[in-house]
Amino acid sequence: MRIIVHNAKCQGHARCWAQAPDIFKLDDDGYILPGDIQVAEGEQLLASQGARSCPERALEVDRTSAARFEPAAMQPRTGEA
Amino acid sequence: MAINPVPDHVPPEMVRDFSLFTSPGMPPTPNGDPHAAVACAHDGPPIFYSPYNTQDGRGTWVITRAADQRKVLQDTETFSSHRSIFSSILGETWPTIPLELDPPAHGAFRSLLSPLLSPKRVTALEPAVRERAIALIDGIAASGTSCDVMKDFAFPFTVSIFLRFLGLPDQGLDTFVGWAKDLLHGDDVERPVAARKIVAFIDELATNRRKDPVDDLMTFIVQAQIEGRRLTDGEIRGIGVLVFVAGLDTVAAAIGFDLAYLARNLKDQELLRSEPDRILLATEELLRAYPPIQLIRVATKDIDFEGAPIRKGDYVSCATMIANRDPEEFESPNTVDLAREHNRHAAFGYGPHRCLGSHLARREIVIGLEEWLARIPTFRIKEGTAPITCGGHVFGIENLILDWS
Repeated sequence: MRIIVHNAKCQGHARCWAQAPDIFKLDDDGYILPGDIQVAEGEQLLASQGARSCPERALEVDRTSAARFEPAAMQPRTGEA
Repeated sequence: MAINPVPDHVPPEMVRDFSLFTSPGMPPTPNGDPHAAVACAHDGPPIFYSPYNTQDGRGTWVITRAADQRKVLQDTETFSSHRSIFSSILGETWPTIPLELDPPAHGAFRSLLSPLLSPKRVTALEPAVRERAIALIDGIAASGTSCDVMKDFAFPFTVSIFLRFLGLPDQGLDTFVGWAKDLLHGDDVERPVAARKIVAFIDELATNRRKDPVDDLMTFIVQAQIEGRRLTDGEIRGIGVLVFVAGLDTVAAAIGFDLAYLARNLKDQELLRSEPDRILLATEELLRAYPPIQLIRVATKDIDFEGAPIRKGDYVSCATMIANRDPEEFESPNTVDLAREHNRHAAFGYGPHRCLGSHLARREIVIGLEEWLARIPTFRIKEGTAPITCGGHVFGIENLILDWS
């Protein structure tokens, strides 16, 4: 799973960081660091909760890349984006 | 007080008899619930025109949906934040900074101030905040079994934290709270008087800090540089006034409404007292249910926005308390559910002007509730008393007498 970060939309609410500080790293001003985030297995629930907490909708959950690493049968698609 | 006539371009069917200032529940009301009262905005069209919806009696478009407020507040090119909300009280037009600057000018000032109120910095401030809460509540608990929450806790707590941040002594507290009250809730005579006092105070503080620098916010501002130059006197005043006004009333009001809710909902009160780990999440729900602020923008050009013919110069109101009761955004929006998850409420606004103090405000509310519940046994509204609530530009609550005898 990957989190697509739309930096231009980040306004420093830091709600993602409040949910998962190890996944969503902030700069000194409290805005998310640039670059998409590859989510380790086992952190997917936390990461998607963090992404869903963004008031600006700056974080997008992309499950397609995870599907490449695992057998399709193990990774049911939820249709959520 | 002047009330502007409805402009010709506003279709009569889009005008609604709704106002954050004059609708039922908005003037001072004993045992009122102004946040629940404005939820009725969702009974009508998603966008409408209110002929009287600012402190100085202007009409505004009212954006009710959270998704539409997000669009307005993120689109600073179409919806300017420069409306001189403070200086217009004095018949002037200078902006408070960074709130009333639009990008790109906004960015340099925002970057200057962001690190001072970042999540990291607020974490460092936390012990001092908690110490202040404990000292006040211990004093309250030791002196009886009832208190006036606003006077004895909410204002002294939030204002002293913010005075320390600004670098001001606690002795000024009552004076400053008095100015804020006159400014936000006063009449046409009181408001300019309060505004003039605040400006004079900030100007004098800047002069003093220039002469004798200390380790505080105003010294930081007078010494700061943006784009290789010092700030002008007007810019320093714009920042100082904004920080001063923003910190004085809002968090105290939020804490007051939150404690009033818990005093009336003993099951929830007991839940948070017995399981304090829930306070963090519960605070988000209380921020959703009881935010104090209305945000105003000014259209920079003609635009047909979601069916509303907004014209250049029109005022557009994004009331956070209305967005936070949007049934399309929140399931059962009028139910307070302290375990609500994925709570993307609008209490701190959206877009580049997201409340700069949001991280500090959150910590103050969480810590205030944690320490209050840990130290004060089951509390109720004192029998025979009635808290008085009001709507307006900043929602407020007064005379909140709690009793735990």
